[in-house]
Amino acid sequence: MNEAIKISNLKKSYGTNIVLNGLNFCVQQGEIFALLGVNGAGKTTSLECIEGLRKYDSGSITVNGRMGIQLQSASLPEHIKPLEALKMFAKWNKTTPDKATLEALGIYELAKKQYYQLSTGQKRRLHLALALTRNPDILFLDEPTAGLDVEGRLSLHEQIRRLKKMGKTIILASHDMAEVEDLCDRIAILSEGKIAFIGTVEQLGKTVGKHYNITIQTARTTEKYESDNIGETLLSLLTQYKEKEEPIVDIQINRGTLEQHFIKIAKGV
Amino acid sequence: MMAFLYGAFLQWKLDIRSKTLLITCYIVPLLFFAIMGGIFTSVMPEARHTLIQSMTVFGVTMGALIGLPPSLVEIYSSDIKKVYKANGVPLYLGLVLTNISAYIHLFIMSIILYIVAPLAFSAEIPENPAFYFAGLAIFIAVSLSISSIIGLAIKDRAKTSMVSIIVFLPSIMLSGIMFPVELLPKAFETAGRFFPALWGYRLMADSTFQFKNLLPLIAIFILAICACGILLHKVDK
Repeated sequence: MNEAIKISNLKKSYGTNIVLNGLNFCVQQGEIFALLGVNGAGKTTSLECIEGLRKYDSGSITVNGRMGIQLQSASLPEHIKPLEALKMFAKWNKTTPDKATLEALGIYELAKKQYYQLSTGQKRRLHLALALTRNPDILFLDEPTAGLDVEGRLSLHEQIRRLKKMGKTIILASHDMAEVEDLCDRIAILSEGKIAFIGTVEQLGKTVGKHYNITIQTARTTEKYESDNIGETLLSLLTQYKEKEEPIVDIQINRGTLEQHFIKIAKGV
Repeated sequence: MMAFLYGAFLQWKLDIRSKTLLITCYIVPLLFFAIMGGIFTSVMPEARHTLIQSMTVFGVTMGALIGLPPSLVEIYSSDIKKVYKANGVPLYLGLVLTNISAYIHLFIMSIILYIVAPLAFSAEIPENPAFYFAGLAIFIAVSLSISSIIGLAIKDRAKTSMVSIIVFLPSIMLSGIMFPVELLPKAFETAGRFFPALWGYRLMADSTFQFKNLLPLIAIFILAICACGILLHKVDK
């Protein structure tokens, strides 16, 4: 696979506040890549530097392909209609909006509404459609599902998968761990302006150790436990319950979620 | 070119939908004209000689100063500018398109005044319509350039309206459309020379094209364009 994006030693400060402190990573063509980090970790700054919307202090950024950008906070003139906006941006970029994409995003249903009349989800869909008018090879999605309800979220996930099948490289910044776990091929966790982890979700689990959630149900109670050493913890718990003479009705053991791994790395736990 | 023309047409449509520009470019100036035209011509019958020019100066100054800046604030002090940039649309486009749209609206309003004033108040038609319309075209452009500075420099709609009114009131009061400039105190007369309304009024009211009236307008326009360029550059950072 070829590299769609290559970032080397990227640095960016706002006054004395160092936001990016030597960022290094690559994104392969055709993959869905997530940038994760706690608030203020530098996700949006990184994306905006790559997108060319923000100047950086030093380092290098190589982007191989045309970019489409959906911003975290975006707006349009309040009286513009979705198809008018699409037509204007397409004309300016000398492209034609893809009808199938517009249909899949439900843009035609919004034709008569003005921008201020659209819901958050409808606005997100419109901005995704606008980002696609340039027929990009690489698509940047900054918190694409923030503020969306479950239905809107699922619908957008479906569109993102559809775009991946079309061969697009997708880079998304997100807070939604379930979304990242579900959609992304690889993730990078930003901490203190650097990459604290880069790899697949499975690799992340291996890096931070095998974290398990244990739920033990008895006739009277249901208790939850966490463990990094499943064998030892289980043995100890079974002994405790036996000593209490409390018969166990059910035991459930689950692997830790990405969220738990993420918090460990991002906060240096 | 097609993209630019479509953008200008779209902006014109958006301005009609927004109602703000409709109110400031048509309803208020024409209402003012209907009331003040009647008062002026009955109190001072000789006012009908310059009624078209004075009402046009009022309408254009009001439409430009009060109508345009909010549209610019909407674009340049919000996330719209980021969306433009992210989607490959140059940042100056919003400024140019809103100006073209406002220019067309103000020209239409001025033509309505030109047609209605003689019928409603027996106003005198300018002696040389070609000079009048040339002067009008220049005056609208200069007024919009001043408005553009306000729209680009101030980030808040409420503050924009305040600053616009602060510029609008002396523009009108010191322009000579209400009473002869010669009657004003010397300091006010001098202050009036810094506003395009005074020169625009003279340019349109004179029966011959006076270069001395055009020169200040050109100077103000060039300075305003430079200021807009600097402000746009600042917005882009």
